[in-house]
Amino acid sequence: MAAMIATLGAKAIQDIVNSGRLGRFAWRAVTTSARSCTRRQTYPLVWAQMNIIGVRSVPVIMITGAFVGMTLAVQAYDQLAGMGLEEHLGVLINISVVKELGPVLAAVMLAGRIGGALTAELGTMNVTEQIDAIRSMGTDPIRYLVAPRLLACLLLTPVLIIYADLMGVVGGALVSFLQLGINSRAYWNFSASGVELWDVSIGVIKGFFFGGAIAMISCYKGFNCREGAHGVGQACTDAFVASFISILALDFALAVMFKSIYLTFWPIKSLV
Amino acid sequence: MAIPIPGAFTLDEWNDQTDQAEQAERAETVVEVRNLTKRFGPKLVLDNVSLAIEKGKTTVIIGPSGCGKTVLMKHFIALQRPSAGEVYFRDQRIDQLSERDLNDIRVHFGYLFQEGALFDSLSVAENIMFPIRQHQRHVTRKAMEEVVKAKLAMVGLDGFQNYFPANLSGGQRKRVALARAIALNPEVILYDEPTTGLDPIRSDIINELVLKLEQDLSVTSVVVTHDMKSAYKVGDRIIMFHNGRIIADGDADHIRSHPHPTVQQFIHGQVSEDDLAVLRMSGAVAQTQFLPRDFEK
Repeated sequence: MAAMIATLGAKAIQDIVNSGRLGRFAWRAVTTSARSCTRRQTYPLVWAQMNIIGVRSVPVIMITGAFVGMTLAVQAYDQLAGMGLEEHLGVLINISVVKELGPVLAAVMLAGRIGGALTAELGTMNVTEQIDAIRSMGTDPIRYLVAPRLLACLLLTPVLIIYADLMGVVGGALVSFLQLGINSRAYWNFSASGVELWDVSIGVIKGFFFGGAIAMISCYKGFNCREGAHGVGQACTDAFVASFISILALDFALAVMFKSIYLTFWPIKSLV
Repeated sequence: MAIPIPGAFTLDEWNDQTDQAEQAERAETVVEVRNLTKRFGPKLVLDNVSLAIEKGKTTVIIGPSGCGKTVLMKHFIALQRPSAGEVYFRDQRIDQLSERDLNDIRVHFGYLFQEGALFDSLSVAENIMFPIRQHQRHVTRKAMEEVVKAKLAMVGLDGFQNYFPANLSGGQRKRVALARAIALNPEVILYDEPTTGLDPIRSDIINELVLKLEQDLSVTSVVVTHDMKSAYKVGDRIIMFHNGRIIADGDADHIRSHPHPTVQQFIHGQVSEDDLAVLRMSGAVAQTQFLPRDFEK
């Protein structure tokens, strides 16, 4: 019994230590990134990361968005058709895609694709002493390695979410017209009246937070991974799981916050 | 080769007799550690170590694997922070400086890591340009290429500018890493096991490079190694570590004739009687637990 309590206590203490370490890393990363925005030396590094993180993720993000919209159309049709509201399908699909499913699923896809790659790259650099080599040459590894990746994720995750939203809307529309036989004019008219700029904006703003969380967690796990291939592999797994949970938690927190802001300025609007 | 029997002197008396120790006290000190202790959790790696590195000389640190040699050397540029004690560079205490302030100190050092630590995504030329780009932004691309060419020529690898680390042999990677370490003409070069993993000829090439750099660049060198041939060749002063403490400190002759049995075992590469007994016992146990393979039944 005493041994179990000791183990639990030690685990709790270690978790608190790790949280503090992550907090300090995040603070250094944010302040260094802010300073790096004014240094021209950083721009080529950021461009390179924007190509890796953003440009190369476009195809997979668009595919993700398309399938989200298409699946929503198929799944939601029966419920609305039962009430004679099938022409409102566009409102349901498009609000779900732009406010929730597009940002969250795109961020999860990025966490798996980019997060794993960042952790693996930085973890390998860590275990082969390349990060120590950067420090030994009088260069801040946070400025050289983390800041470009963080800035690229912050700038491009919202853009990628726009791509995901676009393909979600297009995918849902195509399935609605071609497979479900919904009138396109009615579909778009109801969508235009139901989906507001606010809905699209909060999805894009969420991307800013999701991108920051993915970059921060992935870089932290890479910098602090254990030695060897097992250590790097475990860090990649931990980074994805932590990023995934962070995305869900941030999504909930932001949803509550944005709803409060919306209700403060605009009354509740009926979707029917 | 038989291990010499310890003489009548105590170890402290033996070490006090050497001119080397007295000269080190009088000579200019570049790097110094005072009462340095380092723990990793419950494990004590460095135990109250005090050491001064003399300017312009090559100091070799030897000792068994895992005795704390590399950990000590990382303290010299604050890649590790002590659990207790102080670290000085040219009379300035550095172990409590922030990472930002340490960047100004670290440019005076070049560090050759054990596996080279070259950046995989950069070519040989870009690896060597890295410290120049970070600290001498006014230098033109053409000038940097000239510097790269000169540094690669010093290590005998001119022409390899466009190669990537994955395309190089182990010895070539070490030499490129050395070229990178000297890109900013540092005052002090730290070598972490520079000959480990290399064949005898490549090892001697590295030894010659250490001597050549000491002469050509007038640098202070610190070499961590367990290669005794290398230690005798390059070392003006040899320090031996054991269980986190210094047990021998002197020139090559002093080390060769040191009365401490652990020093003699190490420099002659001989396992102790106690360790031999353990090996024999484990072999005997293994025999009794050996299960016959199927085809032997």
